[in-house]
Amino acid sequence: MARGFSRRGRGAGLRFAARLDEGERALLIELFNQVRDLIDPTDSVAAQSDSSSTQPVSEDPFDAIVAGLGADFGSVTVPDSSAELGGRGFGSEDRDPALDRLFPAANRTDEDAAREFRRLTEDSLRARKLSGLTASIAALSEVVDDRVELSEQKAITFLVALTDVRLVLGDRLGLREDADAERLQAIAEAVDPQEPAAYAIVVYDFLTWLQETLATSMLPRH
Amino acid sequence: MSIAPVEQEVTSAGADEALDVPWITLVWNDPVNLMSYVTYVFQSYFGYTREKSEMLMLDVHHKGKAVVSTGPREKMEIDTEALQGFGLWATFQKDV
Repeated sequence: MARGFSRRGRGAGLRFAARLDEGERALLIELFNQVRDLIDPTDSVAAQSDSSSTQPVSEDPFDAIVAGLGADFGSVTVPDSSAELGGRGFGSEDRDPALDRLFPAANRTDEDAAREFRRLTEDSLRARKLSGLTASIAALSEVVDDRVELSEQKAITFLVALTDVRLVLGDRLGLREDADAERLQAIAEAVDPQEPAAYAIVVYDFLTWLQETLATSMLPRH
Repeated sequence: MSIAPVEQEVTSAGADEALDVPWITLVWNDPVNLMSYVTYVFQSYFGYTREKSEMLMLDVHHKGKAVVSTGPREKMEIDTEALQGFGLWATFQKDV
């Protein structure tokens, strides 16, 4: 059974410690790896401009987690234009909405400025995220006796990696605005626990809980 | 933002700050990022106090967005990139 993160020690000995069993660590590693695949810069700005490189839906790396969501999320309509996305991406593009959430259009009043910003920043943003996900996988892989112990620097990296996974999974679950989160809870309570949708929601809630314990324990007091 | 089990009074922020500075960085509300995490990012990245960070976080949550920094365009682009790196939904624009 998992135990959330808490702050231990101080100064150079400061650690953020949690207890995660093998199954929980394997799940996190799998999710970190899936997000890695999603944001790999070899499939980035340059590649995206070539429409033939667009990934078929069937290769969606979160299929394993959210398979069958369509049936259970009948009320969720996935926005397909930048207007409905609230300006997340560019309307003329056909790319994964989760990528538009991770790397949103950075200027809502000037599309040229937003495109220029993306051209200048997206590859390095992707590279930093990949590096953080890789480091977080490594941190989980060296755990002994279920005890996860992170230095502050590794904890920051882990915290951001958890964010990236939750953003992607949340997008797949149709979380676009605050009201969607409430609907998700209603679905979670109504749906058969054996359903893939129920499992995806349990995973999302686990990630939320774990991140909350880490973020709370890392908050500077003043 | 994701809900937190604490009710707090909404306070306005930034309305009269730096009116003569032409560029701003905005953070927009989303249903995934946690209130604790957004507060952490504002504190650790900007060096804002807990109080100011929570005020901005609550503005994002309740009003849909908040101006989190003001200054020259280049600095706003740096802030936007950093905040997007943290997974916040950040944009920059000319203040109007």
